[in-house]
Amino acid sequence: MSKKENKNVENSQNTWHQITSENTDRRSALKKITAGLVAGVGIASTSCSVFSEDHEKEASQMSWDEFFKKNYKIMSDEERVQTIQRLESLYEKKTGNTINISHQGPMEDVLYGYVFNISKCQGYMDCVNACIEENNQDRDSQMQYIRIHQIEKGHGFNFEKAEDNYYNEVPANNHFYIGTQCFHCENPPCVSVCPTEATWKEKDGIVVVDYDWCIGCRYCSASCPYDGRRFNWGQPHVPEEEVNKNQHYLGNRLRKKGVMEKCTFCIQRSRSGQNPACVDACPTGARKFGNLLDPKSEIRWILENKKVFRLKEDLGTEPKFWYYMD
Amino acid sequence: MNNYIKIISLSFLVGLVSCSSNQEKENHKYHGVIEKIKDLEKDSITYAVNSTDLVENMQLISVETKEVSFFIPERKSKIKSFQCSECHTKSIPELKFKNLTAKKAHWNIELNHATSEVLTCNSCHPTQNLNHLKSNLNAEIDFNQSYKVCAQCHSSEYKDWLGGAHGKRLGGWINPRIAATCVDCHNPHSPKFESRFPSRLNTKKIEERR
Amino acid sequence: MKVFIQFFKDSLEEVTSGSRVYHLWMAFLTLVMLIGSYCYYIQVDQGLIVTGMSDGVSWGLYISNFTFLVGIAAAAVMLVLPAYIFKDIDFKQAVLIGEGLAVSALVMCLAFVVVDVGGPANLWHVIPGIGVLNFPNSMLSWDIIVLNGYLFINITIPLYILINVYQNKEPKKNIYLPGVFISVFWAVSIHMVTAFLYQGLQARPFWNTALLGPRFLASAFAAGPALIILILTVINKFTLFKVENKTVNKIAIIVAVAAQINIIMLISELFKEFYFPTHHSISAHYLFFGLEGKTALVPWIWTSIILNVIATVMLTIHKIRTNKKFLLVACIILFIGIWIEKGFGLIVPGFIPGQWGEITEYTPSFIEIGVTVSIWAMGAFIFTVLAKTGIAVETGKLRFAKK
Repeated sequence: MSKKENKNVENSQNTWHQITSENTDRRSALKKITAGLVAGVGIASTSCSVFSEDHEKEASQMSWDEFFKKNYKIMSDEERVQTIQRLESLYEKKTGNTINISHQGPMEDVLYGYVFNISKCQGYMDCVNACIEENNQDRDSQMQYIRIHQIEKGHGFNFEKAEDNYYNEVPANNHFYIGTQCFHCENPPCVSVCPTEATWKEKDGIVVVDYDWCIGCRYCSASCPYDGRRFNWGQPHVPEEEVNKNQHYLGNRLRKKGVMEKCTFCIQRSRSGQNPACVDACPTGARKFGNLLDPKSEIRWILENKKVFRLKEDLGTEPKFWYYMD
Repeated sequence: MNNYIKIISLSFLVGLVSCSSNQEKENHKYHGVIEKIKDLEKDSITYAVNSTDLVENMQLISVETKEVSFFIPERKSKIKSFQCSECHTKSIPELKFKNLTAKKAHWNIELNHATSEVLTCNSCHPTQNLNHLKSNLNAEIDFNQSYKVCAQCHSSEYKDWLGGAHGKRLGGWINPRIAATCVDCHNPHSPKFESRFPSRLNTKKIEERR
Repeated sequence: MKVFIQFFKDSLEEVTSGSRVYHLWMAFLTLVMLIGSYCYYIQVDQGLIVTGMSDGVSWGLYISNFTFLVGIAAAAVMLVLPAYIFKDIDFKQAVLIGEGLAVSALVMCLAFVVVDVGGPANLWHVIPGIGVLNFPNSMLSWDIIVLNGYLFINITIPLYILINVYQNKEPKKNIYLPGVFISVFWAVSIHMVTAFLYQGLQARPFWNTALLGPRFLASAFAAGPALIILILTVINKFTLFKVENKTVNKIAIIVAVAAQINIIMLISELFKEFYFPTHHSISAHYLFFGLEGKTALVPWIWTSIILNVIATVMLTIHKIRTNKKFLLVACIILFIGIWIEKGFGLIVPGFIPGQWGEITEYTPSFIEIGVTVSIWAMGAFIFTVLAKTGIAVETGKLRFAKK
């Protein structure tokens, strides 16, 4: 990093610091006021009651602090650790099982990209299953980040003629398959439209959601040209034995009802060098993932040597998700 | 009265201008993501993690060409009853037709790869010294480097594989590159992928779109 | 301060007393609101899954009504302009009603947004200072600011005027006029900003048209004043407050012109979509003719267009417009026509077909309808209270009594 950039970072950190400390004051004031109000109404009777058990008190105190925490984006490292500890111990109190929530940040000199080989995809949907298991998606509504479209040959890429709920032997005669998911745009419209900055693009290019900051207005899903976002219309449910306990704050930790979620390139895996679950699950090698800033990476070889294209390029969203054919 | 109008229209303008500032400074810096990649790319990147840590207990064979170097998994230890010479003490012609009633060895292998006019057992397996594979010109090829046999016909797949467009990564996206070799995904005797039913059926979506 | 307290005491007394019809009306509204509250309780408990919305159509009845009501709020105040600036005394009487309507429409708007979000408890996240407001990037943050600002303006101006009249003082022009000016500009801006909310989305070609904002304004200036005409008629019938025919006729001209412009813009849009249909015309095709046998919105939109055309023709012909009965009929059908057009005709087809061509149809659930109706009831309740107080002050019934 050059000196100039360093200075910029310092400056912005200072301003952030000022803002956050100011925020904290106001927030704690708000917290007190609301606490008073709620206690007055009597909803908080469990947290204030003398009869309730100590650990119950502790848990409700934790939920209380959870409710009034900041946007993850502007939290200090310390605050991030605190909220993760709270989430982990709340989960343990609730289920008796331990989870591990990571807050690993982006690696230096990494910008993730994804390519999809249309010639290779056979429509097996192994990726879809792997994604659901890895990312703790709601089983009741069968939420899925990935859609595999079965398109009849001879119509080009005509998504209107595509079927994404097929159940026939695959690959079906005279059909080809193309997968879509969040494309992690460089100019993500979903990030611009979010009124609370609950979704943003990380330095390594992954577009993430702070599930606890999202208010559930669904403006982002209206603004996404790629159907990349999923909303928890009801209370999401994952059977306890199927919960992936290896989690990331911005990734596959358990969600609640009324919030938006999406593909994060399996942030809990990719930031530790692993491939997203869909890439590893694909039996045909149609899915490729890697660092765009490494000129020697496979993904760069593909971009430079194959005839790649992206979907709806005219919209100016600059997806980091390319397609190619053999 | 006129003054009011002036003040109001001014404040309106100020409002409009303020909305155009600040907006997505970073994105205006580059004209598209490719430009950004070209600007920020680094020739040598050191990562904190190593892909070899992600594939513990995997023995690796290195593949070196002029352009690329990477690793593939070792093969021989995964072949059932290797060395072949443990059974094949004699060459194939010597073995042949001695006992016509006995069940043939490798009876379960059905060759479903190209046609019998272009490819038989002997296209890849030599008749002597069966611990190796062979090239079209009868050069010995080690089982660990079986991709060389495949590459003789499938040259475009081979090129894509070397580059990274064909095949599958093992041990994550991170360096060094570890890739599956041809026979990790394709059965050399029947290389085509089987057709089958997809792994799931999305009943809820069907309901929703009814 | 003492005046304020006295004013609120007096007005409370005023709104709690009235004729039997008035009491029945208020009791009915309360009942509807109670039923709606129960529906909302179910929605909060189980999540938005109890509505008809899905990932396919992620905004429905709530946001449709929100959009329509922003128009009503904007249009109501546009009556202020001629009243104060052109010193047309006729309008002045209508203005209080208009501002009262604006306030209740805005409260309804905000209520519709609150019931639409998935985490209403998290709404404090948008408050700058304690939360994070994504300004100026998000058009929704603009909308939050302009709607609340507009609500503030529309509460303070009439309050100032009423308090003065209440004390038998003449309201000072140089105090309220700037406010009036700002509110007129602001009225245009709330509607344009709300249109930009949709217009800015490149993902939805149906909304991504430059005509969306202007068409919002035109339809709002037709539906809003039409509603005011209806309300003035009711008020004329039930209260001592009399509005002259001349005023109503002038408002009717505004409605007529706006409805005509709305029709012209509709024709322009239809021409663009259907003269040479592109891939982007597919949502319009779904709306007007259906797609792949799915035609849920077709009857709605044709009803809306027919109602709009009939009303516009009626309002255009001088003889019909000046006839009281016909005028009322025209206003009712215009109001319904535009409500359908801005609701089912605008928000829902924006989502159909989805980004990958899948067609998910939308039908509101009973709970959604219950909540919607109760918010309308709440709006009517607030308006009744505001109008009753306002009228009582204007007619001189309510006056500050020095003790």
